[in-house]
Amino acid sequence: MQSNRKNAVAVLLSAGALLSAAPVATLAQDIPVGHLADFSGPTADVGRPYGQGVADAIAYINRHGGVGGKKLAAETTDYSYKAPQAIAAYKSWSGRVVAIQGWGTADTEALIGFVTNDKLPYYSASYAATLTDPVGGSKADRPAPYNFFYGPSYSDYARGMVQWAADDWTKKGGKGKPKYIHMGANHPYPNSPKAAAEEYAKELGFEVLTPIQYALAPGDFTPQCLTLKQSGANYAYLGNTSGSNVAVLKACQTVGVQVQFLGNVWGMDENAMKAAGSAASNVVYPVRTSATWTDAKAPRMAMMREISKMSDASGTEYRASHYLAGVCSTLYMKESMEWAMANGGVTGENIRKGMYVRQNWVPKGAEGVCVPSTWTAQDHRSVLKFDLYQTDVKAGDGSVGDLIAKGAIQMKRIATIELPRKKEWLGW
Amino acid sequence: MDGTLLFQLVLSGLIVGALYGVVAMCFVLIYKASQVVNFAQGEFMLIGAWACWWLLVKFQLPFVAAFLVTLAFMMLFGLILQFVVLKPLIGEPIISVIMVTIGLSIFFQALMKWLFGVSVQPFPPIFAAPDMNVLGLQIRTVYAMSTLISIGIMAAFAWFFKFSRMGLAMRATAFNQQVAQSLGISVRKVFALAWGISAMVSALAGVVVGVVNGVSPALSFFGIKVFPAVILGGLDSIIGAVVGGLVIGVLENVAHYADSQWLHWGNLHEIAPFYVLILILMVRPYGLFGTRDIERV
Amino acid sequence: MAGTVALRPCGDFRTTYGGDQTVFPTRLSLAFCFLGIAALCFAPFVFSKYVLSLLIQIGYLGIAALGLNILVGFTGQISIGHAVFFGFGAFASAYFSNKLNVPVFFAIPLAGVATTAVGLLFGVPAARLKGLYLAIATLAAQFILEDFFARASWFTGGVAGTAAKSFSIFGIEMSGDQRYFYVVLAYVVILYLAATNLMRTRDGRALVALRDHYLSAEMMGINLTKYRTMSFGVSAFYAGIGGALYGHYLGFVSVEGFGIFFSIQFLAMVIIGGLGSVMGTLMGTVFMVLLPEAMGGLAKLLSGSYIDRLLSLDEGVVFLREMAIGAVIVLFLIFEPDGLAHRWRQIRAYWKLYPFSH
Repeated sequence: MQSNRKNAVAVLLSAGALLSAAPVATLAQDIPVGHLADFSGPTADVGRPYGQGVADAIAYINRHGGVGGKKLAAETTDYSYKAPQAIAAYKSWSGRVVAIQGWGTADTEALIGFVTNDKLPYYSASYAATLTDPVGGSKADRPAPYNFFYGPSYSDYARGMVQWAADDWTKKGGKGKPKYIHMGANHPYPNSPKAAAEEYAKELGFEVLTPIQYALAPGDFTPQCLTLKQSGANYAYLGNTSGSNVAVLKACQTVGVQVQFLGNVWGMDENAMKAAGSAASNVVYPVRTSATWTDAKAPRMAMMREISKMSDASGTEYRASHYLAGVCSTLYMKESMEWAMANGGVTGENIRKGMYVRQNWVPKGAEGVCVPSTWTAQDHRSVLKFDLYQTDVKAGDGSVGDLIAKGAIQMKRIATIELPRKKEWLGW
Repeated sequence: MDGTLLFQLVLSGLIVGALYGVVAMCFVLIYKASQVVNFAQGEFMLIGAWACWWLLVKFQLPFVAAFLVTLAFMMLFGLILQFVVLKPLIGEPIISVIMVTIGLSIFFQALMKWLFGVSVQPFPPIFAAPDMNVLGLQIRTVYAMSTLISIGIMAAFAWFFKFSRMGLAMRATAFNQQVAQSLGISVRKVFALAWGISAMVSALAGVVVGVVNGVSPALSFFGIKVFPAVILGGLDSIIGAVVGGLVIGVLENVAHYADSQWLHWGNLHEIAPFYVLILILMVRPYGLFGTRDIERV
Repeated sequence: MAGTVALRPCGDFRTTYGGDQTVFPTRLSLAFCFLGIAALCFAPFVFSKYVLSLLIQIGYLGIAALGLNILVGFTGQISIGHAVFFGFGAFASAYFSNKLNVPVFFAIPLAGVATTAVGLLFGVPAARLKGLYLAIATLAAQFILEDFFARASWFTGGVAGTAAKSFSIFGIEMSGDQRYFYVVLAYVVILYLAATNLMRTRDGRALVALRDHYLSAEMMGINLTKYRTMSFGVSAFYAGIGGALYGHYLGFVSVEGFGIFFSIQFLAMVIIGGLGSVMGTLMGTVFMVLLPEAMGGLAKLLSGSYIDRLLSLDEGVVFLREMAIGAVIVLFLIFEPDGLAHRWRQIRAYWKLYPFSH
């Protein structure tokens, strides 16, 4: 290009860029809500259904009268699971929004101090136990009075599965000490329940082996599986999200590892079962809702079907378990806001107070789906009872809905765990 | 000291190392022919894997047909890329060339994520028997196939460069472009062919990795692992690339073994090749088989 | 500026050494510079929080990019590991202010010095490598240091990251974008002037000689190892200061923010701005900071329309941003290899010489 033409192009492009970089404003009567999601990062495989659930629930709420007549104005930011980007998004929200639907462990834990200072209720999709102590004094680094999440904490899930494993060992007639091993990436999210689970396992008589690391991004995990096989472990906890779990399950199936895999709540879902095929069979994992989408036709799922239609008008898409969790999280936030509106206005502090008002709380329309939860000002562990499912997967082609209809993917409920509300287990 | 585990790890490392060697060979091919460091080698693999997957899943072609179509597409892709992007950069300083390939790698990575998403997509099953037993280690059939193919490709490359006219022409161009041109060798054709072959063979490696682990954006990290392999072997030596790839593959697994038995750092498996890279650059930058670049003032 | 393209139009004579080495070639350009800085001082009262945060980002990224330009543009070395020096500065500053209770005002320069030490450490072996090998060595350093950040929990808080205190002078808290803007502005002005000054000293000329023809430079008596190492050190200092400012702005430092993509963004800033030009670095930084915002704005403009559905923009914006960065790098290198600084000079020359073309 000639120099003059290049000059003109440069000037025009800069003008256009500067003009289009202006931000968009929200209406005064909306309730601004921040929404962090991972649609494109290492946890996107589970972030997408959860984020869709939150977005659809907000759209449904707005379609049906909003919160006391005011619409929720959600600002969704895809931060690709990078904590600095989440912090930057938070900085642009603080002072403007009244609540935030968050996502990952690393950024939620980083923001504890900020949300406490700014009095912003933060509903995370991270269930790290460090977020459950509102007053301080426990093993958590600092109090988190403004952090809420729906469902048990990772540590409680892990403890529940260890408890099941101990029962399973005796039922199978195992001799001697069973061996427990933690597998996960070196990252706050898989690390979150590690110490608590290992200590509880020791308490119940397990021999705890050296943890094995495998990355959050899928890859070739043959060396890790060979090491796992050689270690002789009986029960292996998989700490990562479903993407890398699929890779490790397949590698371990090839190598011929005989171990009972225990998945975490983000580590196994219907999409992973389809991707891994028979390698994902016999994995035990927790589910945090009383229903899965296999019960989609049941009457108690009526509101969930309506919410799903917000982004899928045909109503045929199969929703993973994380979708329902995202919806439940948003519904709890909405009902808190309604209480706040009737009791002094929708501010962060009032929304927080609204979370403590009900016991064994289930949002309207979600009975039989969202589990009864109780938050108190001293204890943010809302749920201590959950179901354990076991997968039964045969390889097959087709969408997730088809495979479930054909029976190639089956999830069987094998146990309901109820943990005691021990004070020394708070916060870690 | 667990002998069987170590042996199995070494064997598994050799199999993965053969793949590293194939990708390293493609990298060295481009470097030798056109003096360009291709930071986008991993993305070639990724594009090939996604293209093959798409053909298999969308059009339900049989595997062999999809594979051949992918290879043809990648050859064309390499030719076009060379023509559009690299030709304007002949003669520019090396930082520009490096940055262009880095820019291309970012562009293609993001393009693949946009077109195909970020989750792992498994390949439809290709072989009747997914696993087979080799020397006591269960490996995927496709890995065995890939080892055979890798050896075949290495032999083909060796024959190509030593005995065929085009291969000799490439070596001449790599040695001195101007003299080669004056001897009547079409440097343009040499460049184009080098990029085309490199893209094609990378795609082959990409398809193999995709069949084993599923296709996902993480596949392009192979392109970064290639650097320790080619530095170890020597930037302008095809044999060196192969040896380097095998060594790095075994090294990763041996490091994992040492880590799990004694060190307990956790991720030595991923980071050991880079420590070795620094070591080689300090001690012997030209690698095992590279040519020494002697400066006389 | 002084150094690369110091061609003056004929008739413009300088009669003293001092006059020859001025930073600002004319009185008018000096006046513009003062006016610009004064105008920026009023920015916090005029602009919204969002624009201020962009300006602050341009500030600390510009400082680090200038360090990289000194290394790549003025000394001719390559570094694909700049992000980890940036990160080291951030972690060091957080460490000094949290664990050693150094006031943040002093922790930031100290972090710069600490990063210089690390930079010199890498400079010593790097002095032996040239061109491509240096690039690959810095790439390896990037991954190794990233791994170090993830595992050295005593220093960095491991994978969970560490909180950084807010900046305060004499008890006045400088948190909040409006106040922090002045801190960043002060650092940018001081460090940019320092870099411009460096280039007209003896050491600066040695660096440029190293880039242009190192064999001749060695023959003239310039110690290659000393200056190559020094170049890494200075570059690391700038990166460290930039990182420290970043850490205290965000209030939180985590290893995830300093990956290879960030290093490439720094290189893009320098190349798009123009290698070997101090003004160009700032322009390149502005470009790279505004590019994702422009893409986001474009996506919002198109949201709901046919193109949005066709390209699935709501989910794909992140990928389109990355694609734009990659495409921009390639296009600039094909069509404008000398960067925005060169284009700016051409535009200025066009206006000055109109209707003549030269």
